[in-house]
Amino acid sequence: MSQEIIDTVAQYLTPSIPIKLISQGAEAVVFSTAVHPYCPMRETASGNEPTQYIIKYRSPKKYRHPIIDKQLTKHRTLSESRLLAKLFLIEHLNVPKLIATDVYNGYIWLEFLGEDLPNNCGYSNLKNFLWMYANDPYNEQVKNTLFEVGKQIGLLHWNDYCHGDLTTSNIVLAKDDNGIDWVPYLIDFGLGSQSNMVEDKGVDLYVLERAIISTHSSFSGKYNQWLIDGFSSIYKAQGKTGAKKLEEVLKRFADVRMRGRKRTMVG
Amino acid sequence: MQLPQFPGTNIEILLYENVSNVDAIRSRVVELPYAFIDASAICSVEQIMSAIYRVMIEANYNRLRTKTLHSEILLALSPTSNIGEAFKRFGLKENTKNLFMIQITQDKTSNVDKTLVKGDIIEFKDESIERMSDIETIKKIYKIDQSLHLKNNTQLSRAVVDAIQLRGL
Repeated sequence: MSQEIIDTVAQYLTPSIPIKLISQGAEAVVFSTAVHPYCPMRETASGNEPTQYIIKYRSPKKYRHPIIDKQLTKHRTLSESRLLAKLFLIEHLNVPKLIATDVYNGYIWLEFLGEDLPNNCGYSNLKNFLWMYANDPYNEQVKNTLFEVGKQIGLLHWNDYCHGDLTTSNIVLAKDDNGIDWVPYLIDFGLGSQSNMVEDKGVDLYVLERAIISTHSSFSGKYNQWLIDGFSSIYKAQGKTGAKKLEEVLKRFADVRMRGRKRTMVG
Repeated sequence: MQLPQFPGTNIEILLYENVSNVDAIRSRVVELPYAFIDASAICSVEQIMSAIYRVMIEANYNRLRTKTLHSEILLALSPTSNIGEAFKRFGLKENTKNLFMIQITQDKTSNVDKTLVKGDIIEFKDESIERMSDIETIKKIYKIDQSLHLKNNTQLSRAVVDAIQLRGL
């Protein structure tokens, strides 16, 4: 099954674009490549390390009617691409750059973000980053990074967008221009949407809190506090309206925590 | 030049500076087998290339909205699906000084007529393009808010590429 998908992608891309499978989800398969789809001069531009690109492919699902399958693939590829374009226009919000989309075949090309962490700690998503600091969990860099992550989510929510699948794997850290500080990027907006509903925002925060608790349980109290501090700082910078909206979101967040992500539906 | 995904298609891009016979070219644009683009509406290599990529995707997996691949490039550059508007914004104007001449063919060898445009050929790279772009016009064409935080050409170009990739979908 998986091989079949890889073959389809390889055929679509032709042998001139070698690919490496990096992740497979229920909805899409993600590859990396060193070949830019249309700017050959970009590939060697930065000199030493070859620039990488991400290819996200939504494969046809056999359990769906072919016509509906095509429509869904087109719709979802397009919504994710559109969302990335809109989010780029929000100042200070960090999302991957959209390079190309082929909605007819379900492909999105994105810039590759992040790098391998030192000492075999794996790829630089928030999850691996926190593991890396397991021996020194309250390090200043951990605190700053989580605060900055909180700010990113705050920016997203303040502008009425929701991520929909906010986990520690979907937050990627990339070195900034000076090569020292980590800058958080939110990735995978496959379940993202524009939404001004406090419920969606509360669920986003809850999902991330659960992710932190389940993988870094001993330190999760502080970690989640730092995230919320960063989140709140964005709202508080918006004066009275910000404070009021912050209160609403945090109240709903507490409600969601009490009952779980899904609202109980009986009968 | 070829795009990796479309090895059978040859793309030639020439960037001309100080063109003296724009009027003559304009009067024959329809019959000439090239796309001519006013360089002032272009801010980067990736803007041109992403439009060509979009054309190839539409040609291979959907359908063309205009008569030729060449005219389709002008439409692909545009943020709206109005063909006339696209030609007005990206096509040659009376006062055009610098221009792109683009040819897309299925032939292996290029056969671009380099005597057609009277002007200086300069290297197709960001540094040359930036010199010729009219940033305010580009922002207006792509309706990129003037007050926006697009600090440099890289960010402007990114917003433009987004618009090109998503137009009309």
